[in-house]
Amino acid sequence: MQFFKKPNIDFIGKRKLFFIISSILIGFLILLVLIFGFRFGIDFTGGTEIAIRVEKDISTDQLRTTLTKSKILPDEIKSYGEKNQFLLRFKEVGEDAAKIETALLGILKEYSVQILKKDTIGPKIGKELRFQAFIAVLFSIIAMLIYIGLRFEFTFGLGAIIALIHDVVFTLGMIVLFDKLGIINLEINQGIIAALLTVVGYSVNDTVIIFDRIRENREKHKGIPFAKIANLSINETLSRTVITVLTVLIVLVVMVFFSGPVLQGFAFTMTVGIIVGTYSSIFVATSFVLWFMKKIKKLNVEEDAIKQVAPSKA
Amino acid sequence: MKKSVGKILLVVIPLIISIFLLYPTYKASQLEKLKQEYLEKAKQAKNPQDSSAIIESFEKSYGEELINARANRIKLGLDLRGGMYVTLEVDVFKMIEESAIRDAIDDIFIEVLEKTKQEAKISDEDVVEIFKRNFDEIARPKKKYLSDYFDFGSESETEDKIIKKLKENAEESIEQALQVIRQRVDKYGISEPTIQKIGQRRILLELPGVTNEREMRQLIQTTARLEFKLVRNDENLVAAFYKIDEFLKKEKEISKGVPKIPTDTANKLQEIKSIDTTNRQTTPKDTNLTEQQLDTTNSGELPDTTDPYAGLSQEEKSKKYIEDHPFTTLFVTNFLPPNAERTQYQRDVRFYNASQVPKGEYDFEIFDEVWNKFESIINRKEIRALLPYDVEILRSAKPNIIKDNKGKEFKIYSFYALKREPELTGEVITDAIATYDPTTNQPIVTMSMNTDGAEKWARITGANIKKRIAIVLDNLVYSAPVVQQKIVGGNSQITGMSSPEEAKLLKIVLKAGALKAPVEIIEERIVGPSLGEDSIQKGLNSLLIAALLVLLFMIMYYSLAGVYANVAVLINVLLIIGIMAAFQGTLTLPGIAGIILTIGMAVDANVLIYERIREELEKGRSIRSAIDEGYTKALSAILDSNITTFITGLILYFFGTGPIQGFAMTLMIGILTTLFTAILISKALFQITLNMGKTNISFGQPKQVNA
Repeated sequence: MQFFKKPNIDFIGKRKLFFIISSILIGFLILLVLIFGFRFGIDFTGGTEIAIRVEKDISTDQLRTTLTKSKILPDEIKSYGEKNQFLLRFKEVGEDAAKIETALLGILKEYSVQILKKDTIGPKIGKELRFQAFIAVLFSIIAMLIYIGLRFEFTFGLGAIIALIHDVVFTLGMIVLFDKLGIINLEINQGIIAALLTVVGYSVNDTVIIFDRIRENREKHKGIPFAKIANLSINETLSRTVITVLTVLIVLVVMVFFSGPVLQGFAFTMTVGIIVGTYSSIFVATSFVLWFMKKIKKLNVEEDAIKQVAPSKA
Repeated sequence: MKKSVGKILLVVIPLIISIFLLYPTYKASQLEKLKQEYLEKAKQAKNPQDSSAIIESFEKSYGEELINARANRIKLGLDLRGGMYVTLEVDVFKMIEESAIRDAIDDIFIEVLEKTKQEAKISDEDVVEIFKRNFDEIARPKKKYLSDYFDFGSESETEDKIIKKLKENAEESIEQALQVIRQRVDKYGISEPTIQKIGQRRILLELPGVTNEREMRQLIQTTARLEFKLVRNDENLVAAFYKIDEFLKKEKEISKGVPKIPTDTANKLQEIKSIDTTNRQTTPKDTNLTEQQLDTTNSGELPDTTDPYAGLSQEEKSKKYIEDHPFTTLFVTNFLPPNAERTQYQRDVRFYNASQVPKGEYDFEIFDEVWNKFESIINRKEIRALLPYDVEILRSAKPNIIKDNKGKEFKIYSFYALKREPELTGEVITDAIATYDPTTNQPIVTMSMNTDGAEKWARITGANIKKRIAIVLDNLVYSAPVVQQKIVGGNSQITGMSSPEEAKLLKIVLKAGALKAPVEIIEERIVGPSLGEDSIQKGLNSLLIAALLVLLFMIMYYSLAGVYANVAVLINVLLIIGIMAAFQGTLTLPGIAGIILTIGMAVDANVLIYERIREELEKGRSIRSAIDEGYTKALSAILDSNITTFITGLILYFFGTGPIQGFAMTLMIGILTTLFTAILISKALFQITLNMGKTNISFGQPKQVNA
């Protein structure tokens, strides 16, 4: 089987078109985030979340009425994974949360309620975790910049980082979009941050494969303009890029559907991130390197072979 | 064939190693199943001897094997096996407060402490540092020095040394908390708990299998500070309570300004008030009402002839009495629900001299609903000044539950004025036993003391015969028995527990010793066993389905080469889990996600290589050289791409908590094993095939029709 037989698609020539597409999408998603903001999970806000399973059929609304009658007022009730499984959220922590749990067990006795899990996060921890998550994402981006800067050239490192930020922003935007549309419950929690960091790694991984090819082709085809080298390299790695994204997508889709509610947010974030990561490594990263060479360094990428080669080679 | 031996070993050895590493996990699960069968049998046995014999026979033949297997098996995270994950913070603040010289504590010091407390609530900074900063800001300008408040003997010569000593004490109290909690958890009987210190003053607990949150909370959070204190419910206190009444009344009048009552009534009231006050001061007997007297007051007749309430209707009298006594009317003596209309003329002083109480002492009771109000009143600085300086007021641990005639339940607590300085503390306790009181059949804990403690206890009880000594645990009075005789031998007991379970917990915490500093739960995650089982099932299902689909895809796309890549991936997964077991890693649900993800990503290395080989084949190279070229040329791309993912794994590991670390761990192990299997094992397989004389290996490329 072969998906692409010697592909020769002019990705670089159409880079302006993709630049516009990306800009519009990212702009739209940023606007969405600015308007609606993120919905943080209790990992980051503090509070209590209780997941329950009841044996008798009951709808979310019925459950809400039953609880409200008994003066238990969760901030949120939603279904959790399967039928008759619910996730209740409360602001209370500590002793108060323990009291709520006891009351809950009493009220829902006739439904044979069972506590699946309970998370209580103090406000202090929430604040710290939020800070940690932010630092972690920042650190990973800086680490990537340093690594690629060392392995390739600074310009390439910058290209990879632009693609990376593109991916992170896009993924975050999609999280807000899908959450708002109510398709899937996506609040920013530790699992989603972990997925986001994995996306960071994957996005760079994909980009690096193309850069690696560019570095190789520059030595092999001396005298060919840089823009052509770049396009050739993208085409040569296209088959690999698509196959890998396919295999990863296969496992992610399996995870979205089969791994249960705990991992759903994680799997969704990864899926979006992997798709956009692949897109950006083809359409954003290399295009940015070209733009940077042309506009900032004033190099003629369309005609000249850019001689500057990578400082080190593995 | 000879040439291939090394290559074959390269494939077979990792396989053997991973099976070897995973064997204990398999063995443990088999033995657990067997144990369940034995336990089932034991349950069905006719008598206890038989059932214990069955259990013993299992222990004899398999016990050691099971312990060994368990020690080397792959550990499941709390999210998979169910259990409790708790982060505790040690409240160092209390330690600072208690190291201070008691008599030296003044308003300035209290202000510094309050500010420190507030700041420590929102920051992870060293509490002693926060205290020092606040002390410098607030107390120092007022010419106060640390040496005014702390006395650590010769060590407290300079301010720096005091801070150093405080820091040492803080460090010590955190270490001590760690030890005490470890002992408690061990004695409670939790298998394989994790207890470790994290950060400045936090303790992380992972308690597999524990879902009884309430008991766990009690076990961990109980400070277990046991104190024996003298009860001071005497006349001085009653007098102080009346002073508080007056103080609050006056305060209310001032805040209200001119009373909004018609002048003639107001004048009358004014007059009455003055009589009332003088009356109380001149006739303290008034407060010494007995129960019998109370009964008479309830019926509406007054023992006093100089009645300040004369001429008022029942309702007005009642209302006025409450207005005049805003504090003591919070108390309970005879049953009256807190919200009930006080239509009856209630002139009773709301405490009494009960028959079971020593002469000259009072019993005070209060409704659960008003306790907070009561507490906030007595904690006010101005009001504390009205109370005897060396007493503190604490309430009973358990309420009395009383029903009114409609069957509604009310909780009533007793409260006690206790001499602040304890006569004896729990440090002298050497042993504690949870048992039942032979006469009442209530759960109790009996304690024995060391010789020093026993001597002191004998002296204290001897000196206080016919007086009450309160047994106080964590600032709650469990009992306040009247000392009947001198107690020698150092035995004492705690009563007032509501259940045998509570007695058992109390026994454990008393034995493990008191926490020098209280701890607070700041994060708590509980996973019920059913969700854990669900997660394992779903995780494994996803793993299988994902693996199957990826393997199928690889065979479809790369045919025989795809099969080789699959062999590499399978060995990869086995190796990841094997290495996790070997390094005592914990498998969490995100960890399983990491493994699933690795399957998807591991084939990437092979895809890179195979695409290269196809390119080389298209250029017309021989199969052997195409394979060599493919592996060489793909190497730098494979390394680069895996190193970037590895870096994110590292960052996740250091910034993540619990389950996320599990994910990072499998991701990193996965990358290392991927590099090994995807590059070396698949290449070895190709070379073995070629050495066997095959000249063509299909990489799934379409037949070159035009070539």
